[in-house]
Amino acid sequence: MVALLATLLAYPVLYAVRLAFTDPLTGHFPSLVNYAQLGRDALFWRAVRNNALLPLASVVVELVVGLALALFLSRRFPGRAALRALVVIPFALPEIVVLTIMRYIFVRRGYANAALAAVGWPALDWLTPGSALAWITVVLVDAWHVTPVMFLILLAALAGIPAEIGEAAQLDGAGPLARFRYMTLPLLRPALLAAVLLRGVDALRIFATPLVLTGVEGVPVLSSYAYHQWSDYGNDAAAAAAALVLALASVALSVPLLRLREAA
Amino acid sequence: MPSAARLIERRLVWRGLLIALLIALPACRQATHTLVLAAALLPSELPPYRAVLSAFEHDTGWRVVVVPQQYADIRRALAAEATAGSGTLDLVELDIYSLAAAAADVAVLDEAALGDELAALIPSAVRVGDVDGLRFLPHRLTWQALIYNHAVLGAPPRTWDELLAVARAHPGRIGIKGALYEGLTCDVLPFVWSAGGSALAFDDPGTRAAFHFLAALAPSLNPQSAVFREASIAEAMARGEIVLELNWPFAMSLFADQGLAPQPIRSAPLPAGPAGAATVLGGGYLAIPRGAPHATAALGLARFLLSAPVQRELHQRLGWFSARRDVAPTGDETLLAGFAAMRDAVRARPEIADYPLLSRLWQEAFRAVAFEHVDPDTALATAARRWNAERRAAPSPQG
Repeated sequence: MVALLATLLAYPVLYAVRLAFTDPLTGHFPSLVNYAQLGRDALFWRAVRNNALLPLASVVVELVVGLALALFLSRRFPGRAALRALVVIPFALPEIVVLTIMRYIFVRRGYANAALAAVGWPALDWLTPGSALAWITVVLVDAWHVTPVMFLILLAALAGIPAEIGEAAQLDGAGPLARFRYMTLPLLRPALLAAVLLRGVDALRIFATPLVLTGVEGVPVLSSYAYHQWSDYGNDAAAAAAALVLALASVALSVPLLRLREAA
Repeated sequence: MPSAARLIERRLVWRGLLIALLIALPACRQATHTLVLAAALLPSELPPYRAVLSAFEHDTGWRVVVVPQQYADIRRALAAEATAGSGTLDLVELDIYSLAAAAADVAVLDEAALGDELAALIPSAVRVGDVDGLRFLPHRLTWQALIYNHAVLGAPPRTWDELLAVARAHPGRIGIKGALYEGLTCDVLPFVWSAGGSALAFDDPGTRAAFHFLAALAPSLNPQSAVFREASIAEAMARGEIVLELNWPFAMSLFADQGLAPQPIRSAPLPAGPAGAATVLGGGYLAIPRGAPHATAALGLARFLLSAPVQRELHQRLGWFSARRDVAPTGDETLLAGFAAMRDAVRARPEIADYPLLSRLWQEAFRAVAFEHVDPDTALATAARRWNAERRAAPSPQG
């Protein structure tokens, strides 16, 4: 088992680290030449900025929408099972299928602008590279695809809260908002932290959504930047350097989140 | 002691195994008579290409497995096999601009074995494949031309002035492959050369004139130009979002398949600048990997692919241009007319060790001017400064 782990995990990771610190022209190791190149590249800094903000925005949207859906669909009403299944469908679809459909929806002559035109509104440039609207479109599409994960975690946690607690609070005169604020939310806290930890670290690895919708240069993130260096320039060393930055960011984020969760 | 029935049963088992072995042996023999060719073929190009190979298979008894891949992936597979010291690839097709980088991973070819086929090729195309010895053979040549919507524009722009007029009459509907990749360099260099500039000089008058023209063109570019690549710009053209672009011949095949060419989409020569028209040489070159399992047979396959009948057939079936002097463009007059007309205006990109850096600087300078509204002189001065500071080898006089 140790040999298997060493072969499949340790060796590729160590190789990537070595590659990140190797001068691709001279083969000299250790060298910071790849990081010097990244530092001079404006696209890299845009990728770093987006990799900090885009997952944050996406997770916030997923948290708010996922919680709202979980609260709504934890109640008993006719058709609840069908609605729950409907909410989970986006996550069940293969990512590339979702993104291809989304691209057809949001291109200049796509379905979204056709819908706007049908109601007499002007067309929007949903995917114009570098625009705020393209950024928002990426966040919303990513959130739409992954919100079911947040929804399922929170729905399971809500099911674990005894109904008697809510009934007792209601008898004591607590309104719906007060019950949510002082009862549901504190009891949901461990599940919320678990969901944020899971999605937060996962969201840092965002790749296909910005790449398919806007191209590398539209809304760059670190993974698409690394792919760009590897694919467009054949610069494996710069790609490894960028990927290492992303890996370190993931570790740096998960440690405090794990501590927070343990404290909860 | 085993019974007689048991002995007969054992004999039957052994005979069965022997028959199975005899059946399997020819299959094994056939497996060793298989050549693996990795080429950058589109899905639509694979069936006609395979059909062309059937004559080789029939004549030689070798089966050819064609692996359609992107150039970058072929390059990586080649490098991996070279590192391993052995592999499965017998013949590979590489992008013309990656030949120098791949030279160490491929074998020097036996020129005597190529004979007449080598003599029939355009000498300048052969020279491109000579990197410390002849290692690469021109499988196909290609270059860009103007692709325009004939139904909207009527006639294509023939000069820079006409191009600017078209752009101003159709704002947001002019496409450039402006993503940060080699395709952008292939769109920018024709403008530089058409103004008398050099691909190796960011600060000469021709280059400055080209970038001032591009700055004038920039407000009319489709906003998606910042991320357009070959496929996405062709998609936008097919959807009618743009009316004009620079692209390779494969795009015309795509439009023809969709019923969009030769009407409304057609090809035309690139508009001429103050120093005439120019376009970038592209194409695929064949090479035999250093560790090719069947190097001699692979050379035979390369020779077959370069023969006049095959090159003529590839031109007719796929629209590829040949490096043979005796295979002149005779393709569909309306479909590839623009490409055929650019044949004498084709120019190679600089063959220098620092080409990746040079190319990246051209891309960044264009993007600064077109999408960040930086003054052309400032963008070029920045590129020149970085070129002088970051290049690692002495500049070559070419370009």
